[in-house]
Amino acid sequence: MQVFLQTLIGGLSLGAVYALVAMGFSLVYRTMGLVNFAHADVLMIGAYTASTFYTSTRLPFAVAMVSAIAVTGLIGLVIERVLRPLENKDVTLMLIGTIGFGMVLQAVAILIWGATGRAVPSPVKAAPLQVLGLRIRTYDLVVVAVAAVAVVLLVAFLQRTKRGAAMQAVAMDHEAATAVGIHVGRSNAIAFAIGAGLAALAGGLVGPMLYVSPTMGGTLGIKGFAAAMLGGCGNIPGAVVGGLAIGVLDSYAAGHFQGYSELVVFLVFTAIIMIRPTGLFGETTVSRA
Amino acid sequence: MSHRVGPTRIGSRAFAAVAMAAVLAGGCAAPGESKDSGSSGSGPIKIAVIDAQSGQLSSLGKWEYKGAKLAVDEWNKAGGVNGRKIRLDVFDDQGDPTVGTTLARKIDSQKYIAMLGTAESAVTIAMAPTLRQAEIPNIASGQSPGMVALKSPFLFLNGPTSTTYDDTLAKYLIDGKKLKKIAMISNNGAYGKGEHDAFLKALSGRGITPAADEVVTTDQKDFSAQLTKIRQKQPQAVFIGSEEVESGLIVKQARDLGITAPFAGAAPQGTPVFRDTAGVANVEGTIVSSPYLSNDTSDATKKFAAAYKAAYGEEAELHGAKAYDGAQILLTALKNSGVATGRKLADAIRAVRYQGLMGDFAFDQTGVGISATSIGVIKKGNLVKAEG
Amino acid sequence: MSLSPRRFIRPAGLVALVVVAWALPYGLGGYAIHVVDIALVFALLAIGMGLAMGIAGQINLAQIAFFGVAAYATAILTTRSGLGFWTAAVLAVLATGLIGLLVAIPALRMQSHYLGIVTLGLALGFINWTTNAELAGGADGISAIPVPPLFGVDLSSEYLYYYLEVVVFAVALAFGLFVARTSLGRRMRAMRDDPLAAGAVGAQIPLLRMTAFLLASVYGGVAGVLYAGLVRFVAPDTFNIANMFLLLAMVVIGGRQSLVGCVIGAAGLSLVREQLVDHATYAQLGFGVVVVGMVVFAPTGLAGIPARLRGVLERRRGSAVRATLRPFQPYEPAGETERDDGPPILEVREVGKRFRGLKALDGVSLTVCHGEIRGIVGPNGSGKTTLFNVVSGFYRASAGQIALAGRPVSGARPYRLSLLGLARTFQNLRLFDDLTVKDNVLVALDRTPTRAIWRYVLWPVAIWRRERRLDHRADELLARFGLTEFAATRPSSLPYGIQRRIEIARAMAGSPRLLLLDEPAAGLNGEEVRQLAEIVRSIRDSGVTVVLIEHNMGLVMSLCERVTVLAGGSIIAEGTPAEVVGHPKVIEAYLGDSAMADLPLPEVTQ
Repeated sequence: MQVFLQTLIGGLSLGAVYALVAMGFSLVYRTMGLVNFAHADVLMIGAYTASTFYTSTRLPFAVAMVSAIAVTGLIGLVIERVLRPLENKDVTLMLIGTIGFGMVLQAVAILIWGATGRAVPSPVKAAPLQVLGLRIRTYDLVVVAVAAVAVVLLVAFLQRTKRGAAMQAVAMDHEAATAVGIHVGRSNAIAFAIGAGLAALAGGLVGPMLYVSPTMGGTLGIKGFAAAMLGGCGNIPGAVVGGLAIGVLDSYAAGHFQGYSELVVFLVFTAIIMIRPTGLFGETTVSRA
Repeated sequence: MSHRVGPTRIGSRAFAAVAMAAVLAGGCAAPGESKDSGSSGSGPIKIAVIDAQSGQLSSLGKWEYKGAKLAVDEWNKAGGVNGRKIRLDVFDDQGDPTVGTTLARKIDSQKYIAMLGTAESAVTIAMAPTLRQAEIPNIASGQSPGMVALKSPFLFLNGPTSTTYDDTLAKYLIDGKKLKKIAMISNNGAYGKGEHDAFLKALSGRGITPAADEVVTTDQKDFSAQLTKIRQKQPQAVFIGSEEVESGLIVKQARDLGITAPFAGAAPQGTPVFRDTAGVANVEGTIVSSPYLSNDTSDATKKFAAAYKAAYGEEAELHGAKAYDGAQILLTALKNSGVATGRKLADAIRAVRYQGLMGDFAFDQTGVGISATSIGVIKKGNLVKAEG
Repeated sequence: MSLSPRRFIRPAGLVALVVVAWALPYGLGGYAIHVVDIALVFALLAIGMGLAMGIAGQINLAQIAFFGVAAYATAILTTRSGLGFWTAAVLAVLATGLIGLLVAIPALRMQSHYLGIVTLGLALGFINWTTNAELAGGADGISAIPVPPLFGVDLSSEYLYYYLEVVVFAVALAFGLFVARTSLGRRMRAMRDDPLAAGAVGAQIPLLRMTAFLLASVYGGVAGVLYAGLVRFVAPDTFNIANMFLLLAMVVIGGRQSLVGCVIGAAGLSLVREQLVDHATYAQLGFGVVVVGMVVFAPTGLAGIPARLRGVLERRRGSAVRATLRPFQPYEPAGETERDDGPPILEVREVGKRFRGLKALDGVSLTVCHGEIRGIVGPNGSGKTTLFNVVSGFYRASAGQIALAGRPVSGARPYRLSLLGLARTFQNLRLFDDLTVKDNVLVALDRTPTRAIWRYVLWPVAIWRRERRLDHRADELLARFGLTEFAATRPSSLPYGIQRRIEIARAMAGSPRLLLLDEPAAGLNGEEVRQLAEIVRSIRDSGVTVVLIEHNMGLVMSLCERVTVLAGGSIIAEGTPAEVVGHPKVIEAYLGDSAMADLPLPEVTQ
């Protein structure tokens, strides 16, 4: 029982990170119908920038995070600008384009920070909490709290602000949105920038939990993407649920199947997505004959 | 659309004729290049370092190149071997065995007479058949018993194998400290698997069954499930078979989960990367089996560390030291044999008796030259020799 | 056209290639030939990737795993089970094909990036398995794979191995090109451009997707076997995601829709990678930049650049001779013998269709007799297109039955209906944009069931012969519709009116018994509408029944013998045009609220 609950806690804290990654994917997907394969590498750049600001310039962690978000937001804008000619035309090409961007970002990170990576000291020094024999890391609580705030803010932005409403409209029908005077390009750029910012948030938070290296994006990205699909691509609350689900699945698979956990995670994921191709909360996308 | 129809009848006849000719000619004279050992002549002696210079494991590769280069520079400064300078070139295998096999052919066709590296057993194993065929001696720095199993007369190790590391460790923990409950956590990569098997063997040889035997993947991030299981067994020590970063994460999470038992492992657990990833407080008391505990072990190591620092402006560590030893042995063998190549050079390497940074080298038929390690304990972030 | 110099250039080029391929090893060192051997393996992988991704439009990020499955299967069967190399090789390719079919199952349910991530996940799962399994040698891999024996030829020599690879490669490329340029490839390209329309002209989408993955995996399998025989060692690291993305870069840079392009990309990048082996980070940076650049500026890759240049030049020069639309040549009228015999050609009985509680169709019954021209009219959102979608198998009816010439076909898939003699056009044109006009027609002319693709392996000559027959018939059909001069053009570059006519020609290519036209006059000018009426009449006179949805009441009045009026998902009137126009309900419906938007059609997941 204790193993069960402790595994659940471990899975949930990692799941919070997957949820942040999945939210970034989903936001870009719902607005542009594009899956950004460079997302995980933007995350990695975010992790590096945050840790660089935090460790070498001794900025407070929160300030370092905000700077990292600003930097990656800019990268997001650049990616969107370069790939704009393909928007609403060929999804496959854009997807390959983002894979190309991912390769570039990784190479750039190696050139700047070296291939070996670095450890980031935890900004929260407090000892783990003890509840009924279970131990909960204080830093994990911070991560979960930040993720929760990010979800609330994002949903509020999309539903309560004019800009957010415009993005919703573009998500539903970009031609109609253009017709009512919404600047689709700008809306997409903002989506991309916010998505990249979310990646940096995830990267910055995950730095002290794990280890920052040029290849750290790999599994985080693929599992984050799987989480977004599990929740229904484009659905923000779904991405959160999907993220937590993948995190927990990951942890239990590691406990039960040991070295084979990765195989098990992807088989389970494939099975679920076969049964519900639109994810747990996804809606059928609309296209006309 | 007529161009879609393809070759016309005349075309296909010509095609067949040429194909015939090609087959016949190919049968008569196989292309290829004449075998030439490249030892004669008075140019520089070409030695290749093959190691990962890019990718995640490139730090090992870079350290190794620095260590080997230090030794070669010393010899060149002293006039080289038999009056010939030594040229050391580095190749990047990217940690990929396929690239390794290509590089093995490359150094063969470019007439390198010996090779140092790689740090990764899988790459070394992939290259071994080609190097054996080309008769290029290779002093590798992996530690997997899998390399020994190849029984190649051209393959040597510049350090002990996992068997030695873990046997020494088990001896210290069980015979010395009289521990009974030992848990294991290791990854499924080449290194982790080798460590797992070697330590398990050392334990069962002493009649001990591990209290827990958990396997993780090389990119696992959360270890709560496995560590909680280990915690429930209340072991007296936890053995880790994993690389620097992952070991660091495991120890950090283990301490957060309330595991207080000391950790024990081989070379990676003695490194700064491990210490920094886990945090200095968390690694206190970690028991490490290594042939090179610190730069202050002996006069030789102090001298090496000083030279290393002077050359590269950074602290020396195990991998650089191993590569330095390997290069010294190779150069000594070249000198002893009058710059022999191929099998003669391999025999000369096997005959070298060398007192190095790792200990006293004496190669046996399997290519292993060192069969002892020392035990160290991490105290306040530094690895010091264990008492007793 | 038949005397073009291409006829002579092609064979000459082939001969030159053979000579170069044969002489190449004589100029290369032992290391260089190894590099070439590896490049050939990647080229084979790239062909498989090109077939699945470029031709069939299936995003397959598991190609590197197919490669791995075959290499591992060869290694395991030779070293663990003691089989001979070639026996193991055959079994390995079969096993890979089987794995390919398994990986294809998700493709039946999802497409594009969804498929991408699922295949990527499965590839990661495979690497994970090889790293763990004792059988696969764990992370250390399997060494000492035996040298493949070949009638006493020593294949441990890289040079002789090269010749083996070149022969296998040439056969594989030839087969790939044969597939891509004949019936199967055409159908796969049609499916890539528009799966719905491809289904409507008789392409069996699920089977085609399976075939695409089967082809990809078999090419991956052959590459894997050659790799195992060449390197004689396998380890998980060789099949990692970075190499998958490298393979993707090869295919994109070379040009994914052209197999030759894929080969050039693979060979080129392999060689460049080798040159830059000591600068791997810069190489990665370079590949990334080139991929992004290619995607934005040259989406068709290196292989597409000549065509793009030609296009630019022609636009500069302004094509000397403008292609023109020729008049339609009427069909031979069929005899009156069949008329009014047997069951009605289309019988719709009490059909209903709901979308999440919204009734799009409710109790619709309709009988169309042989040789009729039936008009279906109604305000926007009255369910006309929904009715067509139900009849042509795009939607499954929630209630009721449909019979085609007396044969119950409720719930049949579009390709089945197409083979039974139903053809349709679409309200928003659905031509295959990356196929030429002629290929658009050829896809529909090809009436063989998709399962007949076994002939590609066992009796390719039959395919070849049939291609020539189809080619001839396509020329005839294009001539009849006055489209001969556009045969080699892509439809998207043509004016709207011509595209409409192409779509009708494509629908007629399947020699249907029943033709459904969804707003064929939309967007046409007066003269074009007149031509359309003439075409439709001629089609009817040739013995094909026509049902058309139309808003142009003038056309409906002059063309249709009977008219059915839909409103709010139900039939409110039926009769001759004159009867219907005066019907009070019809007047009410048309005067009433018609602002209701057309009902959207949910995406059909095949």
